[in-house]
Amino acid sequence: MEAPSFITAQFIVSAAVLLIVVHVILIGVAYSIYLERKISAYIQDRIGPNRVGFDFGLPVLQKLFRGFGFWGLGQPLADGIKFLLKEDYTPPRADKVLFTLAPMVIVIPALIGFAIIPWGGVWNVPDFTIPVLDWHIKGGPVHVAGAAVNVGIIYILAVAALGVYGVTLGGWASNNKYSFLGGLRATAQMLAYEIPLGLSLLAALLVVGSVWPETIIRHQVDHGWLILAQPLPAVLFYIAILAEANRAPFDNAEAEQELVGGYHTEYSSMRFALFFLAEYSHMVTSSAFFVLLFMGGYHLPLIPWLSPESTGLAAVLLKFLVYFGKVMLSVCFMMVIRWTLPRMRYDQVMMMAWQAAIPIALACVVLTSLMVYADLRGTIPLLLSNIALAGAILAVYPFFPKADPNRRVPLYGSRFNPMPGEVVSHAPVHAMAREDRPVQGTAPAR
Amino acid sequence: MTPVLLATTDVGSYLPVFIVILMAITFAVANIVLTKVLGPSRTGAVKGITYESGMNPVGTARKRFNVRFYLIAVVFLVFDVEIIFLYPWATTFPNLTPHSSDSLLWLVRIMFFLFTTVVAYLYGWRKGVFRFD
Repeated sequence: MEAPSFITAQFIVSAAVLLIVVHVILIGVAYSIYLERKISAYIQDRIGPNRVGFDFGLPVLQKLFRGFGFWGLGQPLADGIKFLLKEDYTPPRADKVLFTLAPMVIVIPALIGFAIIPWGGVWNVPDFTIPVLDWHIKGGPVHVAGAAVNVGIIYILAVAALGVYGVTLGGWASNNKYSFLGGLRATAQMLAYEIPLGLSLLAALLVVGSVWPETIIRHQVDHGWLILAQPLPAVLFYIAILAEANRAPFDNAEAEQELVGGYHTEYSSMRFALFFLAEYSHMVTSSAFFVLLFMGGYHLPLIPWLSPESTGLAAVLLKFLVYFGKVMLSVCFMMVIRWTLPRMRYDQVMMMAWQAAIPIALACVVLTSLMVYADLRGTIPLLLSNIALAGAILAVYPFFPKADPNRRVPLYGSRFNPMPGEVVSHAPVHAMAREDRPVQGTAPAR
Repeated sequence: MTPVLLATTDVGSYLPVFIVILMAITFAVANIVLTKVLGPSRTGAVKGITYESGMNPVGTARKRFNVRFYLIAVVFLVFDVEIIFLYPWATTFPNLTPHSSDSLLWLVRIMFFLFTTVVAYLYGWRKGVFRFD
């Protein structure tokens, strides 16, 4: 029997990859929270989660496992169950519709972004028949990716940009000042860092000359990984994806000391968990993006199975493992960054985007296009040009005017900078505040 | 060396994208509905208060905010539109013959386009759009 025209080998493989990768990513996200807690624990000389096993308090399983904790591996599952069973509370003053919509709007782009990632390269499928329906499917080379669409990596960019809406909506709908400020900060920051992200991506695309993931990987197999040829755009790209995912040192949107929880202050139970899930799956997706662009995708040198020419099933599985391993390494690197670097101040974050990252990324694009025009697209010339650009930036940097980073900010109307004619009292004005003073007579004379 | 296997250009190749969007929507909605069904539900006057670190909330959060965020959005628009125009160029320009007159023409045109953006950027910088204090 003839299959419907849209059921091709590519479609079946795509659907299967989607089904598998969604679950791999969801489980990977749950366990990367465990991983982050473990890494932070080891960095801070603690042990981290090591008690919660798989018995979940059930007597039968407790007897079976005899209190064995499985190194705390049950923690993510227990957390997930707990999130489901907690109360899902909507504050009465919040905007009800947007308050429910925001976690969905943030989690949907985070979950669909990975669709274009070429996890397994190309698989040469033999002809096969679907048993019950008796559909004969013609084989041939297919892409082992969620969706083989010809917009290529533009799709990831388009989807990643949608993540801003969830943050904005969550901050606005909560009707809470912490949430509102966190949402504002996160929105401005994500907008600002989208530009160096796009520009450093351009610097990589100019070398390759295609947006198609398979071509990008093939170029890196032939000419060496792009992180060697374009280290400066690679670093800018990594900084930008850290800031896009609201990760430390750029997590000002949820700076605990200033804004409690930022845009998810008012959220509870699963809706709160969806924000977290979106952050971590954003990390996974953007790490996969970084690996695709700069780290050679599934390619490792000296292993013949990992070249684009080998299209067997075993090679595809090995490529998937290598790709996922690289992604997890990048995610671990993000976690190490989070637990070793202090958080930047918000004005520093924004100034770094607009006054440092964007000009440098623009210079990278101009330099790369000149190199491409001069037909110097090899790894060595590009690396040398990158070193020259870095040297030029370091040479020019001392001549730029500098502002003292710790100067007092002239915030008009504050007690340090009163409005003209304003009388500023340094002593507590309110009667209640005066009463609160523990010892009488210590208040300054008025 | 085998040539790179490219994507087909028909709209049918976008079908998996719709599948994954449907999967994501199902996941999001199912989670929120499940927790609504499974979790407890209690209300109270104090529970409903907006959280302000335990103090009594002052006013509402629907306030005016700093105009600088608006300026950031405008400048972002300038740059983002510019970058969108650069992608088609970045995918075709490296495939032209190097050192040819075509290649030079494409390079100079896009450099002029970038130059206009740099002018806008410098104007914004001089106007203090990028100062955050």
